[in-house]
Amino acid sequence: MDSELWGALLVTALGTLMMRALPLLWMRRHLIRKQSANSLDAMPSWLTVLGPLMIAAMFGVSLVPPKINALSWWATGIGMLATYIVWRYTHSLGWPVFAGVAAYGSIVLLVSSSF
Amino acid sequence: MSSPAKPVIHSAWITGAREGIPLLGGYIPVAISFGLIAVQSGFSAWEAVLISTVVYAGASQFLFVAMVAAGAPLWLVVVMTLLINARHLVYGPNIAPWLSGSRWWPWLMHGLTDQIFALSHVRLPQLEARHRMGWYIGVAVVAWFSWIGGTAIGAVAGMELTQRWPLVGEVMPFALPALFLVLLAPRFASRHWALTLAATISSALLIALYGFKNAAIPIAAVCGALVYYGLDILVRNRLNSTSEAKNG
Repeated sequence: MDSELWGALLVTALGTLMMRALPLLWMRRHLIRKQSANSLDAMPSWLTVLGPLMIAAMFGVSLVPPKINALSWWATGIGMLATYIVWRYTHSLGWPVFAGVAAYGSIVLLVSSSF
Repeated sequence: MSSPAKPVIHSAWITGAREGIPLLGGYIPVAISFGLIAVQSGFSAWEAVLISTVVYAGASQFLFVAMVAAGAPLWLVVVMTLLINARHLVYGPNIAPWLSGSRWWPWLMHGLTDQIFALSHVRLPQLEARHRMGWYIGVAVVAWFSWIGGTAIGAVAGMELTQRWPLVGEVMPFALPALFLVLLAPRFASRHWALTLAATISSALLIALYGFKNAAIPIAAVCGALVYYGLDILVRNRLNSTSEAKNG
């Protein structure tokens, strides 16, 4: 990499960090200015709504399988179902994810080995 | 003499690290792809690892490497790689109420990826204030190191790995939707949130299916917000008309 490219990489890295850190500092000041006993009350309401929506949007995007065909959609559906069922029973984080990946992977592997 | 707070802090780190493990399924295969593509685009293995270490933003990194390889002007490379991550602007403020005033927090935001935000947004409110930084460092370090390690593996042996185990790269990333589902599941108990989330998820899915994966996240979130506030107005109007009917 030449020096110009190093510079571009450095600006990109710093810019990415600033994009993550500066809004936090802004919100900290906002919360201090409001001086509310419950900092959640001092947060703009649109922001408290936007948080879960960003997670939901990431979820929607991540549902698109790497290969788009009927098998992938079936595997995705069954994987999601397995994740949800295990979550209902355990209310934990790791086991539902493991069950979902195992269910999804089993279907993909089974079908790909039989064709 | 050891401080009595130490084991607590250590256990918070370990809890964070343990809860970060599901992320590995999503991070490592993508990081391997990045390492492989970076090397194929003319970067050395060390340069690929350095990009993953200092930028640490999946889509930005792929774009950075692709634009540099295509000979795009460097100012445009920087602008585009930053623009693609604009959604990160809302992550820090969303978790701010649960963070202490420590001067370390802004620096720790380097680790605030999409997935770490999703985990933090759900887990930080459930943790005691003194455990939060330890937990966050644990989960963020696991994710960051897996990203750097995956890039190194991809840069050195990515081609061989993807040829030998092509299905691993297809199956492991399913950990991410599974994790997001677990994080969102409790919110479906409320009908208001269930409808809002269903609208957000389906619009994100549709936009992503048309190939606009990065734009899908902010656009779907805005669609979801419209549904949320639309339902809010609807419920308020209904309550008003019911009380008016009762009053006469």
